Amino acid sequence: MKYSEIDVAVIGSGPAGMAAAIKAKEEGAEHVLIFERQEQLGGLLHQCIHNGFGLLYFGQDLTGPEYAHRFAEKVRDLGIEVLLETMVTQIASDRKLTAINNRNGVIHLQPKSIILTMGCRERSRGQLAIPGTRPAGIFTAGTAQRLVNVEGFVPGKRVVILGSGDIGMIMARRLTLEGAEVKAVVEILPYVGGLTRNEVQCLHDFQIPLLLQHTVTQIHGEQRIKAVTIAKVDDEKRPIPNTEKTIECDTLLLSVGLIPENELSRMAGVELDPLTGGPMVDPFRETNVSGIFAGGNVVHVHDLVDHVSWEAEIAGASAAQFVRKGKVEKKKKILIKPGENIRYVVPQTIHTQQDVTLFARVKEMEENVQLKIGDILSQPLRVVKPGEMLRMELSQSQLTGLKEGTNELMVECRKRR
Amino acid sequence: MGEEMVICIGCPLGCRTKLRIDRRGEVAKVAGNKCKEGRQYVVEEYRNPVRTFTATILTEKSIRPLLPVRSNRPILKSKLKEAARTLIQKKVKPPIKMGQVILPDILNTGADVIATDDLLN
Repeated sequence: MKYSEIDVAVIGSGPAGMAAAIKAKEEGAEHVLIFERQEQLGGLLHQCIHNGFGLLYFGQDLTGPEYAHRFAEKVRDLGIEVLLETMVTQIASDRKLTAINNRNGVIHLQPKSIILTMGCRERSRGQLAIPGTRPAGIFTAGTAQRLVNVEGFVPGKRVVILGSGDIGMIMARRLTLEGAEVKAVVEILPYVGGLTRNEVQCLHDFQIPLLLQHTVTQIHGEQRIKAVTIAKVDDEKRPIPNTEKTIECDTLLLSVGLIPENELSRMAGVELDPLTGGPMVDPFRETNVSGIFAGGNVVHVHDLVDHVSWEAEIAGASAAQFVRKGKVEKKKKILIKPGENIRYVVPQTIHTQQDVTLFARVKEMEENVQLKIGDILSQPLRVVKPGEMLRMELSQSQLTGLKEGTNELMVECRKRR
Repeated sequence: MGEEMVICIGCPLGCRTKLRIDRRGEVAKVAGNKCKEGRQYVVEEYRNPVRTFTATILTEKSIRPLLPVRSNRPILKSKLKEAARTLIQKKVKPPIKMGQVILPDILNTGADVIATDDLLN
């Protein structure tokens, strides 16, 4: 394949990238090329050896490597080009792209369209500002996951985990099964950050203590971490004096959130939503830069991989249409605004020509609420939690029935009275 | 007679239910669930709490240090730790195809441990 003839370039081959590339190819894009910086397709899925993947997409309970395998086979069968161990270093707003690897050196190309599927990265200690020394033994949960599940090292024997995100809880179970002692999972909020399923099957199953409304206030140790000080926090998340306790440990894992990885998007002039950290997109997953699309965790952090692949498929289909017609046809545009107790909504704009699915996250946990979109959708929900994404369907007839002159819709989540 | 607490994982609500257990060890009453499906789930979870076992196994003569594996059907959660200890003592060599049985009938559970990825070299 000549690099001058690429129709769709896909950046990253995780659950989003592979799904996007497959869809673009199936929708008629001839030359689809995936860039992957690791030595195999699949991205993060290879280190996620636990099950729970594909329940919605395949109707089967798969592990991460199995989920990746199915997509990778399809990539191969469809004849999609793949450049492994290749890093995209630059994208410009005219879609000129630079990549490097140790076989071809520097590669320059200008594909007809680009799909951003770089995923996300973990929040690290630097972004938390925990006081104390800077010893070895502090890892993000995902780094520990790679060490244990791919490289074959268990990072420590006595572990404290800060944050109750899904990866943190999954690592609590994994380290326990590998013979380590997980002393506690410490969560600053009054509820668990991840899915209830993981709280039960990763923590309760192994009697791992969960300390809600607690945080780490000090790290101790010179060469290697020796202990952490934890304290209770008040409703404002401030540590309460005289509640400090010391827990001896040789490892501290951080599971305190994920950030969409958008350095390349910024270079290309893609406008980011400060609420999601990802590109602003429309229902076609097109960004403000014509011909550049985005899907999966690079847009917003999902809690289920199935939704990541689905979202990326929208981007793939749209990129194929862009290649075919030179643009994605769009009718009347409506802005979607987050209102009461809504942290963000994706896509940030919609068009009235077709059914659309909106994804949202709430700011705070609340029971007995009414979820509303303008005055066209209102549904009761028993409970909403920041850790569980909300999904809303709007039909084309609801959208075309909107009052003349409507150019924005507010999504709100109000307490029911 | 006794009481057991079981958390439902069917939806984000995460109902903390209480199960009254009669003398024969059967569930006599469920309280705290908010739907029918939830009742069914917690009764099943009390009677037969099973999980898919996932882990890794050491390799030899391979470019990868580990091969990911799982049980091909769920096993009792009380056996997960022992299953992990059993695997620590074992090593595998390539070539292995995804789905291939690595350890049949682990701990007499009737479940086989199978590879969840190819190990070709």
